[in-house]
Amino acid sequence: MKITKRMKRNAKQLFRVCMVKGLLDESRVRQVVQHLVASGERNSPPTLAHFLRLLKLGTAQHTAVIESAIQLPADLRAAVQSGLAQRYGPGLAITFAQRPELIGGMRIQVGCDVYDGTVRAGLEALQRSF
Amino acid sequence: MANLLKEIEAQIAGAKTAAVKQNVGVIREVGDGVAKIEGLTDAMLNEMIDLGNGVTGLALNLDETEVGVVILGDYTQLKEGDEAHTTGKLLQVPVGKGLLGRVVNILGEPVDGKGPIKSDKTYPVEKIAPGIIRRRSVSQPVQTGIMPIDAMIPIGRGQRELIIGDRATGKTTVCIDTIISQARLNKAAEMAGDKEYRPLYCIYVAIGQKQSTIARVIAVLEEAGAMPYTVIVASPASESAANQYLVPFAGAAMGEWFMDNGMDALIVYDDLTKQAVAYRQVSLLLKRPSGREAFPGDVFYLHSRLLERAARVGEKYGNGSLTAMPIIETQSGDVSAYIPTNVISITDGQIFLETDLFYQGVRPAINVGISVSRVGSAAQLKAMKQVAGKLKGELAQFRELAAFAQFGSDLDAKTQAQIDRGKRIMEIFKQAQYNPIPVEIQVVVLWAVQNGYMDQVPVARVKEFQNKLTEYFTTRKNQLLAKIGREKALNDELKAELKAAADEFKQTWH
Repeated sequence: MKITKRMKRNAKQLFRVCMVKGLLDESRVRQVVQHLVASGERNSPPTLAHFLRLLKLGTAQHTAVIESAIQLPADLRAAVQSGLAQRYGPGLAITFAQRPELIGGMRIQVGCDVYDGTVRAGLEALQRSF
Repeated sequence: MANLLKEIEAQIAGAKTAAVKQNVGVIREVGDGVAKIEGLTDAMLNEMIDLGNGVTGLALNLDETEVGVVILGDYTQLKEGDEAHTTGKLLQVPVGKGLLGRVVNILGEPVDGKGPIKSDKTYPVEKIAPGIIRRRSVSQPVQTGIMPIDAMIPIGRGQRELIIGDRATGKTTVCIDTIISQARLNKAAEMAGDKEYRPLYCIYVAIGQKQSTIARVIAVLEEAGAMPYTVIVASPASESAANQYLVPFAGAAMGEWFMDNGMDALIVYDDLTKQAVAYRQVSLLLKRPSGREAFPGDVFYLHSRLLERAARVGEKYGNGSLTAMPIIETQSGDVSAYIPTNVISITDGQIFLETDLFYQGVRPAINVGISVSRVGSAAQLKAMKQVAGKLKGELAQFRELAAFAQFGSDLDAKTQAQIDRGKRIMEIFKQAQYNPIPVEIQVVVLWAVQNGYMDQVPVARVKEFQNKLTEYFTTRKNQLLAKIGREKALNDELKAELKAAADEFKQTWH
């Protein structure tokens, strides 16, 4: 079923209801989903699909992915975590990942913001400049 | 070698690396020259978006969760899931005199195979038009070299004069003639070392045209020696709709550089109908709401913001100007269609070309009755005003009387004389293409017809008389022509000299 503007608006309102102090409240999200599924209305599946999309985007905004070529020492991890908490506020879900192809340095992605200080990014920039 | 190694080591030791913050998004949907990108929360309107693989896009729709981007390049290289990031830059094109004589694309890249363009300055493609304070009235003429235009629908520097007509009525030819005329005037002033003369540089923007048509225009301009004073910005029909919609703005940016640097430029948009169609395509692909004839609601703003960039700026701001000659193609002469009415209301006048006149042999096929120039008369040469001041009225009377004469009733001598004069004027307004006439010659010819020198010449031989008269003045009376050009007005002394010369010519005419 094609999603209408009204369904999008409803999904957005439901998404707003799930936010508490700028953070997603998991229990409210569950409640909303259960309510929509139980209602059995024909508009529910597309509304739910859009709600899910907003949820994914919202979650991504509060998720930080830190990638490095080697595993980071604990003190550096703590420093990065506190730095991110300072900049983006509390409630940030932080995950660390290893990517040897980055060669060196660190790449941090929080939502749409990317801080790339890796050797690979530097080399790519150099390649583009030629 | 040891020194080099030390230098490199020192540079590495001193090098500071900093992570650059980027705003990224993921391509959710791509096709038909348009991409929807999720993320890119910091994207600005009209910002260039790096889509990877050397492809650039332009952010046109900023929605809550995604950004609608038109792709300026080969979108077949992109796929769903690719990463895109903002650049913090608006779409820019190179500007400057280095572009003269070149054929470039929407991004200002050369497409003529003559090597890179020498330009170190760029201008944003979208720019706010000069405001009220910066502007001044139009006061200097653009000599198109087309007699009916220079005599009755004069164009001033900084004016926006619309060229409107059906297909194949000579709209492009009028503009090409104007460009050739400017090149000849520029060249003549350069050779004479005239410091007073302000050269008029030309920019020809080809929108959605066939490549062969563009190649023909280039060939004509090259043959006429007009290319050194001209820039051609082309987005042919084979390019994407996004390119065709943006190319007039790129041309305007190149023209604005001349204006901002105290020079004069003329820009021809050939044609804005195709640009509107391309914009409609882009808007529909971006799922913007459509209005009349499926054009988006801001199609008026599309043309108004483009044409408002043509201006004459005050002396305090460099005294430059940008004259615009937009072209609009009508369907079966319908000027009341959506896009024609929009552009008519934006411009400072229009030159209307008619198919009927074209096939009657009146070329350029200008319908003088409905063509107007709202501000150009202030810029018209005084000499031209003196000889052509009453022409429009006389021609209107002629058309009315000629309609009556068709009924075959007997006419009094005065009416007959008016009809005869009208026929002769119509005849002298016929002009071969790519052959602009210098303004001094136009003044002489119009003076001759107004003073009855052609009254005895049969209508069929008027053109021959005009050609011989032109030849006579250019070969034997070139000093008189130069004087007219210098004085820019016909005083009693000049009139006497003109009369003597015309009498002398009349004696030799058989």
